[in-house]
Amino acid sequence: MTAAVQLSNVSKTFGAGADAVHAFGPVDLAIEGGAFISLLGPSGCGKSTLMLMIAGLLAVSDGEIRVNGERVSKPRTDIGIMFQDNTLVPWRHVEGNIALQLELRGLDPKANQPKIDELLKSVRLEGFAHRMPHELSGGMQQRAAFCQALVHDPKTVLLDEPLGKLDAMTRESIRNDLQALWMQKRPTVVFVTHSIEEAVQLSSRVCVVTPRPGRIDRVIDIDLPWPRDLAVKRSARFANYVADIQGIFHGFGIL
Amino acid sequence: MASASSETARLGPRWFDPLSRWAAKSWMFVLFFIGFFLFWEVSIDLFQVPRYILNKPSEILLASRADLPRLLEYTYVTGLEAIIGYVIAIAIAVPLGLAIAFSSILRRTIYPFFVSIEMTPKIAFAPLFISWLGFGLLPKVIIVFLVCFFPIVLNAILAFSSLPDELDRFCRSTGAHWARVFWKVRLPAAMPQCFVGFKYAALNATVGATIAEFIGSDQGLGFYIQISTGNMRPDLAFAGIFLLTLLGLLMFGLVTAAERLLIPWHISVRRNA
Repeated sequence: MTAAVQLSNVSKTFGAGADAVHAFGPVDLAIEGGAFISLLGPSGCGKSTLMLMIAGLLAVSDGEIRVNGERVSKPRTDIGIMFQDNTLVPWRHVEGNIALQLELRGLDPKANQPKIDELLKSVRLEGFAHRMPHELSGGMQQRAAFCQALVHDPKTVLLDEPLGKLDAMTRESIRNDLQALWMQKRPTVVFVTHSIEEAVQLSSRVCVVTPRPGRIDRVIDIDLPWPRDLAVKRSARFANYVADIQGIFHGFGIL
Repeated sequence: MASASSETARLGPRWFDPLSRWAAKSWMFVLFFIGFFLFWEVSIDLFQVPRYILNKPSEILLASRADLPRLLEYTYVTGLEAIIGYVIAIAIAVPLGLAIAFSSILRRTIYPFFVSIEMTPKIAFAPLFISWLGFGLLPKVIIVFLVCFFPIVLNAILAFSSLPDELDRFCRSTGAHWARVFWKVRLPAAMPQCFVGFKYAALNATVGATIAEFIGSDQGLGFYIQISTGNMRPDLAFAGIFLLTLLGLLMFGLVTAAERLLIPWHISVRRNA
């Protein structure tokens, strides 16, 4: 079986000659379909760079990336993508922003209205469909951005620290929404974060990324039951995973 | 406060409501404004200012009433110069700004050229245009165009080249044609910064028209002010200045109204609402 996302000897170097900065890799990784993979590492280790390369928005310097068996050489349109700064445009209300994803793809938002409504409901934004982004809190904006990133039913979803700018309590709450959405639709998710607890809670596998130039130091299968609710998070096994990973970063000299 | 507003709602017609809200917000300014003119009015007598230097506001008002037909005609002349030059500047500068933002060749040639010309006071060209093209409408329109063009084009370049990376990546990940991305994302995203240029240029337009008239013309408010000053009639000169102010306010008000209509979602509009 081919992996949903296959990285073979992928690396990225910015610039050339003496000024060249080796930002990432080389990395090999196979991500199976339907998995929730976290790229966990310190700031500036090249996690976001890797994500952009998977999306085809940034060329690899060396190696090869395949998504669903196809070599990535241009921006992929079968993915959903989300960044730390959301891509809601200020001149459209929430529903219009979700529709923007469809309109840019030449799809009819009206025909997809039930799907939009369902998504809004699943992130508890029903009743806010006609609010403008500036009328929403940061957390609500990110929830709306999830809907925007998922409305075209992408098989692969790339999330680049989507909760990075939110306060701890909001993060916690949105993690649960995100997990519920993933369990329901089961896309392949690549999730970039620097929160160990977040990675352990959400992921089927955690890739520990070293400081720059980022390499995947090890891949840890998180064998905990779903959904990862409060009971799971209180468990000794959850705490062990977190402590183990903390130990790894301690070894890097980061923690 | 609450009782006052409900009272006005009962007493006045509907149009009165926004007016009373404006008054509640701006009464200090109105008081200051009235105070300023009162001070002016009394100081002329108080300090025994000779009338060939400065008149009282009330005298200026009377003088402008007496010469109203000519003042209105000249307001029309100056207004026409300002508006034609301004509209042509927008019509040329916005598409050009778009082209420069997206063409690496234009960015390396015309763009630095424009930035250097921006350092030149455009008014310095005015005598040349008058001597080349005479006393008519055309040289004034060109000078207004020059003082309006650069702020518009430079802001348009900035506007069209500063789409956030995330939004650009999002658009590329949809595979949408560039034209669709332009209409649905790039153009609306560029509007607020474009309006910065439009508003700045609207203020420049009347300045350009007035100075062009100073240099060479036989009609218009700039001409009128210059002649009145030469005839030691500061009252008439001030009448011209007030009308120029009104003209400037009108142009700026129209641009601001267009901004509210086109980008009601933008923070600069919301903050002033």
